[in-house]
Amino acid sequence: MRRYETIFIANPDLPEEEQNALQEKVRSLLASFNGEIVKMEDWGLKKLGYAIRKSSRGRYFLLDYLTESPALVRELERTLRLNDGVLKFITVKTSAQVTKDQIQALKAASQAEKTIRVEERPSAPEPTPVPVPPEVEKPEAGEEAK
Amino acid sequence: MKPPVKRKRTFQRRKVCVFCADSAMKIDYKDVKTLNHFVTERGKILPRRISGNCAKHQRDITQAIKKARNIALMAFSVVSS
Repeated sequence: MRRYETIFIANPDLPEEEQNALQEKVRSLLASFNGEIVKMEDWGLKKLGYAIRKSSRGRYFLLDYLTESPALVRELERTLRLNDGVLKFITVKTSAQVTKDQIQALKAASQAEKTIRVEERPSAPEPTPVPVPPEVEKPEAGEEAK
Repeated sequence: MKPPVKRKRTFQRRKVCVFCADSAMKIDYKDVKTLNHFVTERGKILPRRISGNCAKHQRDITQAIKKARNIALMAFSVVSS
């Protein structure tokens, strides 16, 4: 099994039902290819780093899934590409080889997550605070002065 | 370790790669907060000589930033007015 992660951005101008329909469509597609969803997150409306199709905001969805067949990824990307409501998407292979044990662990983690309703990321129990390297910020002033 | 540089520059201690120092820190393209430490205000990727990352982690950071840019989590360039 391989583990993939697909992020897609839905057009926020679309009516709510259509965005949810898109979500359902993706789910059913995964089911038809025997893909297993580890998690599906809705990040909600976010500001985009740059305008895509004149839209400066987008509704992000993160789909984390396991599958045996690369055909699923191909089909999923094709579906997203053809869907006008999708501004952009990216698929990343997070793990090339997921063993049975890991699948079990993932399932347990996702179950636990559902019950306690914790934040994202089952693998990292606590979001790591980021120690900022103190020196990093300084040289930027020089950079801007150029 | 480095030969003395001729340029007029105050000596700076060799920085230690933050990701090597703290192995709990992961580089993830979805984690924009962390990645933002490694770009300038204009959105350019900071060079190693400034960020102090080791080659491996600088490479990972660069890849992560590029992925994040692709999916519009980060900007390619920030235009200041």
